[in-house]
Amino acid sequence: MISRRKFDFVLAAYLLALIVMGCVAIFTATTTSIGDFTATQNNWWKQIIFSALAIGTILLLLRLPMPIFDLLILPAFALNILLLILVLFTPAVNGSHRWFSFPGFNFQPSESAKILTILLVAKVISKQHLSEVRQILYGAGITLLPVLLIFIEPDFGTTLVFMFSLLAMLVAAEVPLIYILLMVSPVVSIVSSLWWVAIVVWILGLVYLLLRARLSWIAISITASINIFLALIMPVFWNSLKNYQQDRVLSFIDPLRDPLGAGYQIIQAKIAVGSGAVIGKGWLQGTQKNMNFLPERHTDFIFSVIGEEFGFLGSLLLLFVFTLFFLRLIHDQGELKIKERKIASAGILAYLMFQTFINIGMNIGLVPATGIPLPFISYGGSNLLINALAVGVVLKYINERGFMI
Amino acid sequence: MNRSIPSLVFRICLGVLILTLVGALFRLQVVRGGYYKKIAESNFVRIRRVVATRGEIFDSKFRPIVTNIPSHNLYLTSGKIANLPALGKFLSANFAIKPEDLRKLVVAQRFKTYEEILLADNIPYEKVLTLSERLDEFPELTFHNGTTRSYGYPNHFTGYVGRIDEKEYLLYKDEDYSLNAYLGKTGLERYYEVLLRGTDGKEIIQVDASGKSLEFFRENISVPPQNGLSLVLSIDNDLQSYANDVFPAGRKGCIIVTDVKTGGILAYLSKPDYDPNVFMHSISPEVWAELNSPNRPLMDRIIHASYPPGSVFKPVTGSKGLETGVIDRNTHLASCVGGMRIGNRFFKCWTSRGHGSLSIVDAHRVSCDVFFYDLINRMDLDAVYAHARACGVVDKTGIDLPNERDGFYPNTAYYRDQRKIRGGLNGYKANLAIGQGEVLTTPLQINTFFAAVARDGLWIQPHLLVSTIGRSRITREQVQPLHKHRLPWKASTLQIIHDALWAVTNAPGGTARAINVPGTTTYGKTGSAENYMGKMTHAWFTGYIVTDKPEIVVTVFMENAGGGGGVCAPVANKIFNYYIGNLKRIKTPAPIPPQFRTEEDAPPAEQTPPEVPPEVLPAETPPEEAPQ
Repeated sequence: MISRRKFDFVLAAYLLALIVMGCVAIFTATTTSIGDFTATQNNWWKQIIFSALAIGTILLLLRLPMPIFDLLILPAFALNILLLILVLFTPAVNGSHRWFSFPGFNFQPSESAKILTILLVAKVISKQHLSEVRQILYGAGITLLPVLLIFIEPDFGTTLVFMFSLLAMLVAAEVPLIYILLMVSPVVSIVSSLWWVAIVVWILGLVYLLLRARLSWIAISITASINIFLALIMPVFWNSLKNYQQDRVLSFIDPLRDPLGAGYQIIQAKIAVGSGAVIGKGWLQGTQKNMNFLPERHTDFIFSVIGEEFGFLGSLLLLFVFTLFFLRLIHDQGELKIKERKIASAGILAYLMFQTFINIGMNIGLVPATGIPLPFISYGGSNLLINALAVGVVLKYINERGFMI
Repeated sequence: MNRSIPSLVFRICLGVLILTLVGALFRLQVVRGGYYKKIAESNFVRIRRVVATRGEIFDSKFRPIVTNIPSHNLYLTSGKIANLPALGKFLSANFAIKPEDLRKLVVAQRFKTYEEILLADNIPYEKVLTLSERLDEFPELTFHNGTTRSYGYPNHFTGYVGRIDEKEYLLYKDEDYSLNAYLGKTGLERYYEVLLRGTDGKEIIQVDASGKSLEFFRENISVPPQNGLSLVLSIDNDLQSYANDVFPAGRKGCIIVTDVKTGGILAYLSKPDYDPNVFMHSISPEVWAELNSPNRPLMDRIIHASYPPGSVFKPVTGSKGLETGVIDRNTHLASCVGGMRIGNRFFKCWTSRGHGSLSIVDAHRVSCDVFFYDLINRMDLDAVYAHARACGVVDKTGIDLPNERDGFYPNTAYYRDQRKIRGGLNGYKANLAIGQGEVLTTPLQINTFFAAVARDGLWIQPHLLVSTIGRSRITREQVQPLHKHRLPWKASTLQIIHDALWAVTNAPGGTARAINVPGTTTYGKTGSAENYMGKMTHAWFTGYIVTDKPEIVVTVFMENAGGGGGVCAPVANKIFNYYIGNLKRIKTPAPIPPQFRTEEDAPPAEQTPPEVPPEVLPAETPPEEAPQ
C-alpha cells in the first residue's frame, strides 16, 4: 500500500522531471526543420505511451505485497538467464545478438538482467553471519552468470555496468574498502602495464595500502605477486593477439581509429555538442541534427541533440537535475535500515549513475562508444520501463519502511 | 544528512563524475564552442561516397560491346539553397526540370541535406562550359565528372542502365545503393548487376574552406571503391554484325547462333532492334514514339515472345514415336492424299498434291503433316507433353537474361479443365503434332533443342556469359552452374532424327536444299507456321553443321514472312558459310588484353625459365633414361 506519509515525493518528482525532459528531447531529436518545412517521426508520442506504462508499472509495484515481491526475485532471475541464452540464437543486428524484436518494440533481456541481478545479489549477500570473503564470492558468482552471457552477445558496455553496481553493493554491505581495492587491483594492474613507471608506482602504493590495513604478510605477498605477474604478462599476451583482435580492442578504447564507423559518430556528436556553445542553437534548430549528420540521435546520442540545441546552459540544467536525482537516491539509500534493501538500492544507484556518466561521456568524446543509452532520456520502451522500475523499487523500499525504524 | 561510509563514498563518486562532465562540457561548449560552430556550419567533416566504376562488357575476343565513357553531371546540395524560386527558374530554363519537381526533390532530401543529389546527367560539354560561370550564383549546384555507358551496337542482350527510381531505391537501399545510383534495368546489365556493379568506396572530408586539414581523424583513411567486374561473353562481334547484315531489311524476327560444344551464344539478333544509347539521355518524343511503335523494337523476339513453331517441332513428335516404339525407321504411316480425315474433319497437309505413305525420315524431308497427324493419334497426349518438356521446348531455358518467357504445350488436363472439351482430342492433337494449335515456343527454346540434338542428346542451358574479367576471374560455372540433362532418347532415335534432319538439307525433295556449306555435313528443319498475326506464315529454319564435330546451331525466324525453306534457309546458309570461311579466326582464343593481365598471364617465355631451374632438369633426366 502507498502511504502518503512515507512516500518519497521528491524522488518521484525528479524521476518525472527526467522523463518529461526525455520526451521533449526525443521530440526535437526526431523532428527535422528546414526553412518552413518541418517533419516529425512518431517516436515522441510512443515514448509518452511508454512513460505512462512505466509510471503505471511503478504504481503496481508499490501495491505489490512485499513477501510476494521477495518471492518473485529468484524465478524472475532464472527466467531472465534463460532469455539471455535464447537471445544468443536471434539473428544478429549490427553484429550482436542483443534484442528480441516484436512489432512496435524491441526487448533487450540484458536490461532486465541488471535490476534482477542486483536484487538477487542483495538478497544473498545480506544474509547474516556471512564473512566478507563469502559476500564477495557469492556476489561475484551471481553477477558472473549474466555477465558472461552478455559478454558473448557481445555487449561489453553492459557488462561494465554489472561490475560497477556489484562494487557499489559490496560498499553498501560494508565490506572493508581494502577488499574492494583488492578486487579492482588486477584491472588497475592491466591498465598500468602500458607504462613501466605506472606499474612501479601502483604496486608500491598497493603494498603500502595493504600494510596499513594490517593484512598478513602472506596475503600481501600473494596480492603483490599476482599483480606484478599480470602487469608483466600483459604485453606478452597483447603481442600474441592477432592484428584484427588488437584493432578491435584499440578501436573500443579509441574510436577515432575507426573513423568510418564508431569514430564518425563520436566526431559528429562532439561537433554537435561543441557547436551548441553557451546558449545553444535554439529549439529545433540544431544543424547537425537537421542535416542528418548525427547518427542514432534519438537513442544513444540524444545528449548531443540537447547539447546542440540548448548549449552549455541546457546541458548544465540536465546534469543538475540528474545530480539532484542521484543525491536523493543516495539519501534514500542511507535512510533504509534493512540490509538487503540498503544493498539493493546502492546497486540501483550505481547502475543508473554509471550509465548516465558513460553515455554523456561518450557523447562528448570522453569515453568509448559502448551502446549504453542515457537513462530516462534516450528513446526506447523497454529501457525506460526497466530504469523506471529500478527507481520504483527504491520508492517501494522507502514506502515499506516500518513505523519505528 | 547521513554520514555513513557508503553514503560518503557514493557522494564522492557522484561529485567526481559530475564535475568531470561539467568540466569537459565547459571546455567543449564554452572554450571551443566558436570553433565547433564554424565546423558545424560548413559541414567540413563528413563522409563522401566514391562511386565504383561499373564493369564493361566484351565479346569473346575482348572486343568492346559496352564501355564506360566520361560524362558531366550536375549535382545539387539542398542544404545550401539560398533562393529556391531563382534556382527553379534557372533549372527549368537550362535543364527542363520543373520547379515543382525541384521542390519535391528538396523535401525528399530533407534528412540528407548535405548530400549531393544528381539533378541531370550526360550534359554536353559545351553546355557545361557556358553554364559554369553562372554557377557562381548558385553555390548549391556543382558539376562533377562521372562515367556513362556507351553501347557498341543496337541489340537486345546488353540491356541498359538507368537512374535508380523510388521503388527500386526502397527495395535496394540496404544493398548500399544511393539515390544517385545507376542500376541495370534490362538485359545483361540487370541480370549481372551484382557482378557489374562493384562496391562504392568512402572518403573522409575534413578540410576547412582554405584546404587545411582539421585533423579530427588522425589519418585521412578512406575506403577505395572496388570497381565492378567486366563480363566476357560468348558473343562474337563479327558474327553478330554479319547476322545483322544478312537479316532481310524490314523483316521482323531473330537469328540465334549457338556454339554446340559449349552452349554459348555466338550471335543474338532480334529485329527490329533499338539502340540502348538512347536511354542514356533524356528521350525525345519522336524516339519514344518509335520505341513504342507497333513494330515493338524493344521486344526481344528471342525470349520475350513465343510463337507457333510449325514444322520445326516435328522432331519432338517424331522422336516420341520412335521412343514409344509406335514406329521404327521403316514404319510407313497413313498415306498422304493432301491431307487426312480425322473424325469428321479433313486435316490438310501443307501441299494438296499429297506425299503418299512415308517413313519418318522422308516425312521430315518433305515435311509431310499427315505422317505426324497419324503418329500422334497413336500416342497418349500426356506422354507427348512430358516428352516435349523433357526436350526443353516448354519450360524456360534459363538463359542469363531477365524476363524470359515460357513456351506452352497443352496436356489433357488443360483441354478438359480450362477449355472444357468433353469430346475426342484427336483433332487438337493433330495440330500439336505439327507445332500448330496451342503449342508455342520461343525461338531460343527451338535453338537450344536443336543444339541438344546436335550434341548427341545432351541439353545444355544456353548462356551468354563466359567469365568475368578484371578484379577477379569467375567462370560462368562458378557464377551459377549450367544446367545440363540428357534428352530421353535412345541412340537409335538420335540416329534416325539425325538422318531425317540430314535429308531435309541434302536429299532430293528436302525442304531446305538452299543450305549448302562446302566441307561440312548439314542438318536442319524448316517450318512455316500459321498464326493469328497475319495471312503469311511465320518462317522458321533451324539447323546445324558438322565438320569433324558439330560446330554451330543457327536458328532463323521471321514473323509472317512465308515459307521457312524459301525465306529463312538462305539466311542461315550465309551464316553457316561465313562461319566456315572464318572458322580459324572465330575459334582461336584472343589473348587477354594488357589492362586485364595479371602476373599469371605473363607470356610463357618470360615466366617459364624461373619456374624450372635449368640445372635440375638436364641433371636428373639422363640418369633415369640410361638404364633403360
